[in-house]
Amino acid sequence: MKSRSNTLKLLVIVVLIVLTCAYLLPIYVMITNSLKTLPEIQQRTYLAFPQQAQLKNYTDALFGSRDFLIPMAKPIVNSSIITGVVTLLACFFGGLGGYYLSRVKTTFTRVIFVLVGIALYLPYQAVIIPLTTITAKTGLINSHFGLILCYLIINMPLASVLMGTFFLSFPHELEESAEVDGASKIQIFFRIVVPVSLPAYASVAIIIFTQVWNEFFIALTLITPKTQTVQVAMAMTQGSTISPYNLQMAASLLTVGVPLLCFLFLGRYFIRGVLAGALKG
Amino acid sequence: MIGIKALRRQKTKRLRDSVLEFLVFTLPLVVFLVILYGTLAWNFYVSTANWVSTAPDYTFTGLKWYQYLFHQNRFWVDVQNNLKWLILGVLPTVVAAIFLAYLLELAPFPGIESYVRTLILYPVAMSFVVTGTIWSWLYQPEKGVFNTILASLGVQSPFTYTNDPATATYWLVLIFVWQYLGFAVIIIQSSFRTAELQEMVEAANVEGASKPRILFSVIIPNIRSGILVLVSLLLINSLKVFDIVWIVTRGGPGIATDVLATNMIVTAYDQRLASAGAAIGVIIFLIAFILVIPYTIYALRRWFD
Repeated sequence: MKSRSNTLKLLVIVVLIVLTCAYLLPIYVMITNSLKTLPEIQQRTYLAFPQQAQLKNYTDALFGSRDFLIPMAKPIVNSSIITGVVTLLACFFGGLGGYYLSRVKTTFTRVIFVLVGIALYLPYQAVIIPLTTITAKTGLINSHFGLILCYLIINMPLASVLMGTFFLSFPHELEESAEVDGASKIQIFFRIVVPVSLPAYASVAIIIFTQVWNEFFIALTLITPKTQTVQVAMAMTQGSTISPYNLQMAASLLTVGVPLLCFLFLGRYFIRGVLAGALKG
Repeated sequence: MIGIKALRRQKTKRLRDSVLEFLVFTLPLVVFLVILYGTLAWNFYVSTANWVSTAPDYTFTGLKWYQYLFHQNRFWVDVQNNLKWLILGVLPTVVAAIFLAYLLELAPFPGIESYVRTLILYPVAMSFVVTGTIWSWLYQPEKGVFNTILASLGVQSPFTYTNDPATATYWLVLIFVWQYLGFAVIIIQSSFRTAELQEMVEAANVEGASKPRILFSVIIPNIRSGILVLVSLLLINSLKVFDIVWIVTRGGPGIATDVLATNMIVTAYDQRLASAGAAIGVIIFLIAFILVIPYTIYALRRWFD
């Protein structure tokens, strides 16, 4: 019995070491090398600490320099606008739709639910050509609204299902007693359900935010220089072999900064959102 | 008489209210769904048209572009690569996740769970563009991090990673598994944590069943729904894979790592064969549709029962 618990301990320790190496190495290399000078990078001592932290790399990555031709500042602003608007609208409309789907059980809501279920993880490749045509024809492609519209179309099903999953586990008694008092569903939703569901909204917002911020395929296809998102700019940095690794790593960290901070500080909401996506609210 | 009229008035009022409610709650969702399915249908229509330049051309050509694709060598390379992604992106991830989640349940040290969770879940917040960027540097044969570390340990690395056409796809799939492992672990963990399952494990423990035995004959059969959801999500995400391939290899060397999604964008936007690109889109959608059927049925039951 004793020896068995020792083998378990050994196994756990081995697994821990392997996981720690596998998951810390990339982020460690990213952070340390983003702070090095170019000659230090060329020495190829990738695991060493930087001799002196080069914070200038970050201003170079943000505003561009001779070695770094794609300043990230404007793409970051673009992505913030697009992601912020989509997150707000998707949560608001998704909350409404998800609530209805979780409370009213008719054939009609079943049909909508199936349509939402199929749309939930729709491959973007199957709709990209019409989306390009729509945004080009209406001229939306030249402003942030083009991408905002596309992301809203694509993320509404996910936002509805996530919100609905949370509402399903929300106790019905309070709503029922309000209904007896003659309140309409709309009043009940905004006065009773929404105020106590703010944590759920936070979880869904984080999930949608991360998803839209990190989206690449549509952003790449509907690209115009004016509305370039941070992922597309990052991809161009990576694609051009001239940008040195230290600046590439600084740009990478700027790109993942916002979602990564969300994850580190709001991890609980993040995990709940992920689980709601697996239909386990 | 008056009573009946009042009753009727009340009825129409109730009807009006429920119609109003219906519109307020579901109109935005329904509108966006209509647009989404509209674009899907439109895309199907484009795939049967003859759009081969910048200007749209909706002349009906039947299944011409599907035949075009089926005669293309590249298409079949893509299908093979997508199959590799579907199998290798999902199976090892699920097995590793079950193993890890069980190990965390048994873990003899306190605090280990939150440490491991944070450690392996942070990539979920990162984009494939960034993970692709960092991993393509890790992978670089000459100046890359892995081979540099191996060389400093005195090992002449035999790996050229994504530069070797024969194994390049496997190295790409590894990035995917790395990124999704944490996600998989928390889904499996949450299906461990039901009261019924905990009781069953307790009972098996009292009877003196060994730990691996408990895992295989008690836990795994009882977390089938969790596994179903996880497998579906991973299947869809590995089918949709585009970013990793585009960033790290762009489908190369040659077309060794090309997948349907990258072929689609090259065909539709570089070669300007919009109809052929749309046809690839339809094919990807049909595969995805088949893959999500079990998930949708499960979700529907869970939601409405």
